[in-house]
Formats: sequence, C-alpha cells, structure tokens
Amino acid sequence: MSFWIRRLASIALAVGGCFLIDWFAKENLKDFIVRLVVLAALYITLAVSLNLINGITGQFSIGHAAFYQVGAYAAGLATVTFYKSQPLGLALWIPLMMLVGGVTASVAGLVVGLPSLRLRGDYLAIVTLGFGEIIRIVTQNLKVVGAASGMAVEPKMSTPMIWLAWLLAITSIAVCRNLLQTAHGLGFLAVREDEIASSAMGVNVTRTKVAAFVLGSAFAGMAGGFLAHYEGFLIPTMFTMDVSFIILTMVVLGGSGSVTGSVIAAILLSTLPEFLRDIQQISMAGLVAAAISIIAGVVAVRYVSQHVHTPSTRRIAYPGAIIGSIILTVVLSKVLAFIPTLANASTDGSRIRLVIFAVTLVVLMLVRPQGLLGHREFGWGSLRRSEA
Amino acid sequence: MMLSVRGIEVYYGAIHALKSVSLEVEQGEIVSIIGANGAGKSTLLRTISGLLKPRTGEIEFRGKRIDGIAADEIVRLGISHSPEGRRIFTNMSVQENLQLGAFIRHDKEIDQDQEKVMERFPRLRERIKQNSGTLSGGEQQMLAIGRALMSRPSLLLLDEPSLGLAPNLVTEIFSIVLELNKEGTTILLVEQNAHRALEVAHRAYVLETGTMVLSDTGKALLANPKVKEAYLGG
Ligand SMILES: Nc1ncnc2c1ncn2[C@@H]1O[C@H](COP(=O)(O)OP(=O)(O)OP(=O)(O)O)[C@@H](O)[C@H]1O
Ligand SMILES: [Mg+2]
Repeated sequence: MSFWIRRLASIALAVGGCFLIDWFAKENLKDFIVRLVVLAALYITLAVSLNLINGITGQFSIGHAAFYQVGAYAAGLATVTFYKSQPLGLALWIPLMMLVGGVTASVAGLVVGLPSLRLRGDYLAIVTLGFGEIIRIVTQNLKVVGAASGMAVEPKMSTPMIWLAWLLAITSIAVCRNLLQTAHGLGFLAVREDEIASSAMGVNVTRTKVAAFVLGSAFAGMAGGFLAHYEGFLIPTMFTMDVSFIILTMVVLGGSGSVTGSVIAAILLSTLPEFLRDIQQISMAGLVAAAISIIAGVVAVRYVSQHVHTPSTRRIAYPGAIIGSIILTVVLSKVLAFIPTLANASTDGSRIRLVIFAVTLVVLMLVRPQGLLGHREFGWGSLRRSEA
Repeated sequence: MMLSVRGIEVYYGAIHALKSVSLEVEQGEIVSIIGANGAGKSTLLRTISGLLKPRTGEIEFRGKRIDGIAADEIVRLGISHSPEGRRIFTNMSVQENLQLGAFIRHDKEIDQDQEKVMERFPRLRERIKQNSGTLSGGEQQMLAIGRALMSRPSLLLLDEPSLGLAPNLVTEIFSIVLELNKEGTTILLVEQNAHRALEVAHRAYVLETGTMVLSDTGKALLANPKVKEAYLGG
C-alpha cells in the first residue's frame, strides 16, 4: 500500500514539476532559451535511451538519430494524413502521435536489433551507422514525406509544450532507473559484462539485447514525434550523422551506463554550444594562452592521477591543477599581448565555438576516460555507488 | 539416470573437440572428469549446459532431451554451470552476483538462500557490498560456486573450482563440494587436480584429446597404474 502511495506521489511530483518548468520557462525566459529548455529535454530522452542500448546493455549502437527520425516522420505523416478527419484536440493528439512515433521506431529497433545478435563491437557500430544513413537517404527520396525539400507538419503546437517534452524525459529516466533496480535490469548489465556467464545464469541474452534496442528506440521515436509537432517541419538534414554522434558523445561523456551521467551530459552538450554562439571577439593572444594552459592542465591532472596516491594530497592536487591552468591562461594572455602580431589578431567567437566544444570533449576524455560519472548514479539524498 | 550423454560430437569450426563422448550421472553422485589440458573437459560441460551445441549425439536430463535447448532454459531445468575461469561479474557487487545467480527464480526464498550462501562462505558476507572484481582469487571462486547455488540446481557443473588456489583453500573447496553433495546436490566436476577429484568422486571418467578412454569408480581409478602414471605423477 505505502509502495503505491509513494509511487503515485512521485508521479504526481514529476508531472507537477513538468508543468512548473513549463510555466516558469514561458513566464521568464526568452524564446531562444525556451527552445533550449525543450531541446535539452529531447536530448535527455535521446541520451538516456541510447545509454540503455550502449551503456547498460553494451551494444555499440551509434545511429540513434535514425530512430529519432523514424519516430518524427511516422508521427508527422500520421498527423498530415489523419488529423483533419478525427475529433481529438491537439493537446491529446500530439501525445498520441508521440506514441505512434515510439511504436514505429521500436519496430525499426527490432529490425536493427536482430543483427545485433550476431554482431558485436565495431561491426554492430557499422550496421547501426549504415541503417541511419539508409533511413536518411530513403526519406530524402520519398515523395510522400516531401523528399529532400522536407514536409510541413500541420498543425504544429501553438505554443511549445515544454511540459510534454520534460514529461517524456522524466519518463525515460524513470523507466531506466526502475529497470536497473529489478532483477531483469541486472540481467541487462550482466549481458554487458559477460554474455556467456549471463546465459549460464539463465539470462536470455538474445531477448535482453533485442529488448534494449526496442525500448531504446521507442523513446527516441517518441522524442521524434514531439519534435515533428514542435518544429512543424521535417527535413532529412535534421537527422544527419552529427546528431547521432552528439547523442553518442553525451552517453560516453556522462559515463557509459550511468543514467545520471547521460542526463547531465545531455543538458551540458545541448545547451553549451548555443551559449558559445554569443561569444563575440576573441583575441589571438587569449586563444594561444588558453591552448597552452589546457595542455599544461591536462598534463598536470594526468600526472596527479598516475603519481599521487594519497587521497588528501589528491583532493588538493586536482583543483590545484585546474585553478593553476586558469591562472596560467590569464597570466599568459597578458604576457602574450606584448607580442604585436598576437595582440592585434582576433577571431569571431561564433566561428570557433565548435572548436571549443571539441576541445572540451578531448580534454574531458583525457582527464576522465570513464566519463563524468563513471558507472555511478546520483540517487535522491545519497550518492549511491551502484558499481565502481 | 539423471544425466546421460550419448555419443556427442562437438566441433569448434574445423576443430573436432569431442569425439563420440558418452557419460552418465546418477542422482546423488559426484562424478569427476579428469584429463590433460585441451582434452575437452570444459567443452563437455559447456555442451551439457547448452552454451555449445553437439553436431550429433544426444543429451538427456531426467528423461528429457536437452541438446539443442537454449542455455537459459537449461538453467531453468535445474542444471547450473560454474564455468571455467569463474566468470563472475567483476564490475558488480558480490550481492548483485548472487542475485544474478537467482535470475530464473521468482519465489520468496531467494534472500534465505543468499543467507545460506553467506553462512557457507563467511568471507562473502563481509564483502557483500564490495565490488567483486576486488575479491581475491579464492574469494572469487567461492562467489562463483555460491552464485551457481543460487539457482537451486539439482545438478551442479563445476569447472576447475580449485584452479589457482593455495593448498588450504583447495581443501576447503573440496570439503564444500562433499558437503553440497551430502545435502543432495548431484555434482559433475572437472579438475586438473586429479588426485583430489578422484578422491571425492563416486565415479570418474578420463578424457583424452576428445575421447573418453576410461571410466570407473574414483577409488579404482586412483589405483589404476595408467592413471597413476599419466595424471597422478607416477
Ligand atoms: N572457443 C574455441 N574455439 C576454438 N577452439 C577451442 C575453443 N575452445 C576450446 N577449443 C579447443 O578445443 C579443445 C578442448 O578445449 P577445452 O577447453 O574443452 O579443454 P580442457 O580439457 O577444458 O582444457 P583445460 O584443462 O586446459 O581447461 C582444445 O584443443 C581447445 O584448443
Ligand atoms: Mg577447461
């Protein structure tokens, strides 16, 4: 009984939270930030669902954008075809279409998941990547969905349904977290660790892998269904390989297998590049100083991680290395400003935002190869180490 | 007859690993298989537990054909395999490993059985929340056996449980094998340590490059001059 009360309370809390975000965002935030809030929710869903396939079950799938696209197009097409001849209002219709997108994408997940039974590692990666490209190229040439010039999804949402995007994100997180707490979820993790030992335990490895693919792609498809009605327009270039790679990066960066890590990385990576867009002029002196300091910082952190073993020294050494490299950046940029060629040259910030993005990733992977959170999870109230 | 293997042929690609191998295990027995490295002992256990499929031949467990059945179904029938090299889930805690051992069960006595395993292996109790990759080799072996017990098997397949253990731990492991057997678990044991394996076994088989060459009671094989020369150091 108390179990159900707790369950109901947490659902109510989640739904309430979604509407709170919705209300707050619409009242207080600029349009472009509202857009980021929506995209963050979609990317959380995408990263968490890919994490289920990649991080938790250990299937190296890298074409996640394909399922996103299948869901988006299925939902978009259904709306264009059926919306006018049915009685439902948009507020009910759009969630329904997200389900349509989810189901369609999960069928696609089944199709891709089946070869995953025979392939592993790099080979599976190639198949999933290829599948993504096939889907994109097929839609590029398919007249019913507007081919390369895209398709308008009419009607789209009149105002952004932020709450719906966040409800989807929170649902995907809850499903993954709850799954991991059941015996079945342990089976998913076991498959990642050792397939032979798992089947010796009675885990049906085949079914587990396919289930991960189907569930993971279903969530991506629902995100797609939302996107279709949020943008009101779909075009194949919205789902290029870059999107797949960004989602994959979120999973790896967050720490493969960690749901919390995926969420944090999704928020960071979906919003950071947009904020970097605002950077104006950067002087060459500053850039060179930053580059040198980053290298010095990485070297320092790696030195600490390999040679310093007393925990108390480590606790000082890590922040020390990072603060040191920041100070170095400032000092160096002042010093380098004395060199006239560097002082006078400057570049437009928006042009180097992708470079900053890439450098951040490279640095993170050098300093923390296991990802931001490793395999750890952040529980309410306590930092639980589910695995080391 | 609890388990009977009749004339199985097992291949790894072109490698002919088991050649018309037959074996029988009676309810309540400890049966050992001894043989040199590469003889096919692990292959035989893997075939029984469904991880490998025989090309021809039959395997029957309690009157039911099990060759061709998936490994996870075979666990449900009551055969539990503690594979060579332990294969515990090193990134998971001791407790999670034990829970995975009970993966096929949905009854309410799982916690009780976990308690029993911890009573049998007190070191596991002390390390229940610890990452199992940090256990010592002997502790990992205890975990592997404990995990295999969690499915409540009627037939336990043990592949080299004493591998890499110090002599006193080897003794401990073998006394546990005897204890488990007394409590009603039938055991099929594969061992490099031929002397011990024959000592505990009711009956035993000798496997040589994929062929069964001898079978007798454990005692008789211990006294057999050929076995003495080849497997017991003269
Ligand atoms: N996955 C595999 N692929 C190809 N050949 C294999 C494979 N596994 C085992 N073999 C071969 O099959 C034969 C039997 O191997 P098996 O592991 O059953 O031997 P074993 O009796 O258990 O040896 P050991 O005492 O060293 O564990 C060996 O010649 C081995 O090289
Ligand atoms: Mg072996």
